[in-house]
Amino acid sequence: MIRPRTGPALAAIGHALPWAIVIVYFYAAPDQLGFGTQVIIWILFAMSLDLALGYAGILTLGHAGFFGLGAYTAGLFAIHVSPDPLLGHLAAVAIAALFGAVTGAMILHTNGVTLLMLTLAIVSVLSEFANQARGLTGGDDGLQGIKLDPIFGMFEFNIFGKTAYLYAAVVLFGWFLLAWRLVRSPFGRSLDGIRQNPRRMRAIGTPVWWRLVAIYTISAAIAGSAGALSAQATRFVGLSVLSLLSSGIVTVALILGGTRRIYGAFLGATIYFVVQDYSAKISPFFWEFVVGGMLILTVLLLDGGLLDLGPAALRLRDRWHGAAKDGE
Amino acid sequence: MLSFALTVLLDGISYGMILFLISVGLTVTMGLMRIVNLAHGAFAMIGGYVAGYLTQNGGNFYLAAIAAAAAAGVLGGIAEASIYRPLYRKGELAQVLLTIGIAFVTTGAITAIFGAFPYPVVFPDYLTRPIDIGFRDYPAYRLFLIAVGAIIAAVLWLVMDGSIYGARLRAAVDNPRMARAVGIDVNRLFTLTFIIGCGLAGLGGAIGAGVLSLEPDYALKYIVLFLVVVIVGGEGSFAGSFVAAMALGIIDTLGKYFVAEAAPYLLYAAVFVLLLWRPKGLLPPKSAA
Amino acid sequence: MRRLLGIIVGTILASWAMSASADVVKVGLIASYTGAFATWGSQFQQAIEAYQALHGNTVKGPDGKPQEIRFIYRDTASQGPDKAKQLAEELILRDHVKFLAGLELSPYAMALADISKEAKVPVVIMNAATSSITRMSPYFVRVSQTVPQDVSPLGPWAVTHGIKRVYTIVSDYAPGYDAEQYFTKTFKAAGGEIVGSARTPQQETNFSAYMERVLQAKPDALYMFQPAGSPSVAFVKAYVERGLKAAGIKLLGGGETQELFLPNFTDDIIGTVTSMHYTETNKNPANLELKAQLKKMFGDKATPDIASVAAWDGTMLIQEAVAALGPDADGLKYIDFFRGKKFDSPRGPVEIDPVERDIIQNIYIRQVEKRDGKLVNVDIGEVDKVKDPWKLDNPPKSN
Repeated sequence: MIRPRTGPALAAIGHALPWAIVIVYFYAAPDQLGFGTQVIIWILFAMSLDLALGYAGILTLGHAGFFGLGAYTAGLFAIHVSPDPLLGHLAAVAIAALFGAVTGAMILHTNGVTLLMLTLAIVSVLSEFANQARGLTGGDDGLQGIKLDPIFGMFEFNIFGKTAYLYAAVVLFGWFLLAWRLVRSPFGRSLDGIRQNPRRMRAIGTPVWWRLVAIYTISAAIAGSAGALSAQATRFVGLSVLSLLSSGIVTVALILGGTRRIYGAFLGATIYFVVQDYSAKISPFFWEFVVGGMLILTVLLLDGGLLDLGPAALRLRDRWHGAAKDGE
Repeated sequence: MLSFALTVLLDGISYGMILFLISVGLTVTMGLMRIVNLAHGAFAMIGGYVAGYLTQNGGNFYLAAIAAAAAAGVLGGIAEASIYRPLYRKGELAQVLLTIGIAFVTTGAITAIFGAFPYPVVFPDYLTRPIDIGFRDYPAYRLFLIAVGAIIAAVLWLVMDGSIYGARLRAAVDNPRMARAVGIDVNRLFTLTFIIGCGLAGLGGAIGAGVLSLEPDYALKYIVLFLVVVIVGGEGSFAGSFVAAMALGIIDTLGKYFVAEAAPYLLYAAVFVLLLWRPKGLLPPKSAA
Repeated sequence: MRRLLGIIVGTILASWAMSASADVVKVGLIASYTGAFATWGSQFQQAIEAYQALHGNTVKGPDGKPQEIRFIYRDTASQGPDKAKQLAEELILRDHVKFLAGLELSPYAMALADISKEAKVPVVIMNAATSSITRMSPYFVRVSQTVPQDVSPLGPWAVTHGIKRVYTIVSDYAPGYDAEQYFTKTFKAAGGEIVGSARTPQQETNFSAYMERVLQAKPDALYMFQPAGSPSVAFVKAYVERGLKAAGIKLLGGGETQELFLPNFTDDIIGTVTSMHYTETNKNPANLELKAQLKKMFGDKATPDIASVAAWDGTMLIQEAVAALGPDADGLKYIDFFRGKKFDSPRGPVEIDPVERDIIQNIYIRQVEKRDGKLVNVDIGEVDKVKDPWKLDNPPKSN
């Protein structure tokens, strides 16, 4: 889980790089901040999934349920309770965490595909509910008319999206610190054990079920936070936030980048959305080809997701040099 | 009243037959090869489009259906040898990623070749009309589906129970290590079974086009249904997938008839309850891990 | 990581390069090219390209300087309205479009209301058919239709042609509710009776259970409203399969039988009566132009539908607006140019309502028949200058 690094200097650069990109993008692409904000939100979403799926091994296709709950809570809060974005955000996190705790308690005694199907059933029911409860959610018209107060009374949300971008980046950073500490703690390491061999963990006395429910709840809270950001950044919530497709995309994005390496979420989400956006502009019909091909190649050629590109390239280089030495 | 109840039952069963036909291959793949194959719907889709193309250009429907099964089976064989085999060792997440990738590529290919519009399979005229079944008229097409489904289910049952292949397959599903130990070539079994499963899916996609309509997003849209059948029935269990398919078909149809707005809820709520009650599925094979 | 930076920088450079030329007026067309609503994108695009091929894509502004009207196409991939909103923002901020257009789904158009006001960009709506949309932003103008507009003449026609009892089945989304509401209203007002109604899940293709209920209710006709594509095909199939047609129950509908989709049906659809604002077989000069140009550019199978005529007219309006006002006029000035405009569309004579910025047009009652071995819609009735009835029922409080 903690992979050997080639020196602390390289490690420091590795850590600083993603955040440097986040900051540089803000200045380099001021008229595409909307896209950048979306990527940041999905990085957060993917990171939340990494905690549950990557570290704890909880097979879930229902994570969009927490994302969507967070989004609708934040949206409805702004419309009916208060346009303060931070309060709405907190409410969203709380509701998503609560839902995570309750559903987690109901289903986490199962595992494998059974668990997968249960999570799928939950998100499908939620999605259907949102569709039916048009009066509350706007149905497929979406939740319209979200108006937000400026953050701290100073930073207002507008079409240019500067506030939204920085807000999302700060939130991502905050959760990132939490997640980083979490996976390196004894609790986090026990999750690794639970993922690999739950029976043995139980045998040595670990309260497996409680740990699973705990990480599931935290993961749900973070996903809810991402959802809230989505609702607040676009000032709109549509049914897609609760869709199976969203669950699928975030899962793909995470695995693509590499699970169990917190930065895998960063790389995977970024690559997925950049490639999809780019290939959709070239030709609206064929982005499915490009994205699908990318997924297939990644699995066939790389073992640990795209984050493995670096080490894989190094191995390739070593083999090349080895071959050259043998007088090829 | 009775005639109406029977009609709803027949509707549910005919829908369930298609689900069974398509999903039976998936239950074996997941139960035997332990691969989460989210691209399974793509084989059904390919079969459907092959049949659609042939029948739209004047081909005989029955021949087209067989061609559909053959095409899907052949593609399944090629895919198994080239793409799926490395997957055995790679773990569930890699399988999810790769098979979703295959589903995406197939969707893109279908859009490119056939366009984004719904793609019809041209059924023979007598299958598009209602026929008199005694107490009322009922669509011939649905009766056809029930007949084909029942025949194939019966054949599969015979093969599973009465043939050496069936015995070997059941052994390999129950305990792959032991099966290898007694000399069963489990890998060859995988390949053959995968091909048959894809072929059946292709057939289901072709003749079921009147129930599950053919469009480029078929593969990703319906994979959830097939997964539900497999998981609720019990991975690796033929009988389980049959029962689950029937249950799904009937619950869905009943729901649509009686509580139209709540029908989707009903289905997933039923799945939820069923799985909490029987986590291994309704009729799991003996060694369900 | 380096690759990623390269992609970002490359995209930025490319878009800087594109926005450099000042003689191009960009129009952002937002529609679905993939997914459940995939037909809209290509139908819009084909019609726009056809119009520009025939009438040119460059107009002379009031100062005599030539302006090229260039469309930028973006795929909403049949996803939610948030995608449409994101695409609109990008088109405005990155590509500096002067107009937005397209939008096949009402939620897409609704999601653009705030942006259009904030960025002051006119939006030419080429399908989204919910009545209230044009009231959501002063920058909205619609060149397509509203559902109540299309639906309301059918009820009275049915009553005068012997249909007194109807069962309605509509798709469970906003246009479906509009259709159900206005058909029921106008049908009852003319003396008809609604014997039952149902709403089917969106994108449903398994209608057997619903048809059962219709059979039990024994109406004179079944009124349907289903999204064009697999739901409507499956619906008509079930209607025949279940013996409703054989039992003498007529089928009434709207956009399901557009000529574009007729090849998906068997001859069983002959006799279905629909009300729509565009009949493909009409002999208007603009329609003949459109059809000829489509066939020339996209092959014999190219068929126009309501998306095509809306896109055709929308392109014409945008080009005329730029010719009259130049490329840099204020958004509201362009909208004012559209108000009250009367012109000959491929569908017939139309007018843009000066107050509501919505379309006023003729509605045709048509029946599916077989002519020369091909299934087509043939006009059997017409109601002129129909305004959106919802707007008449809900007068503006203040505009």
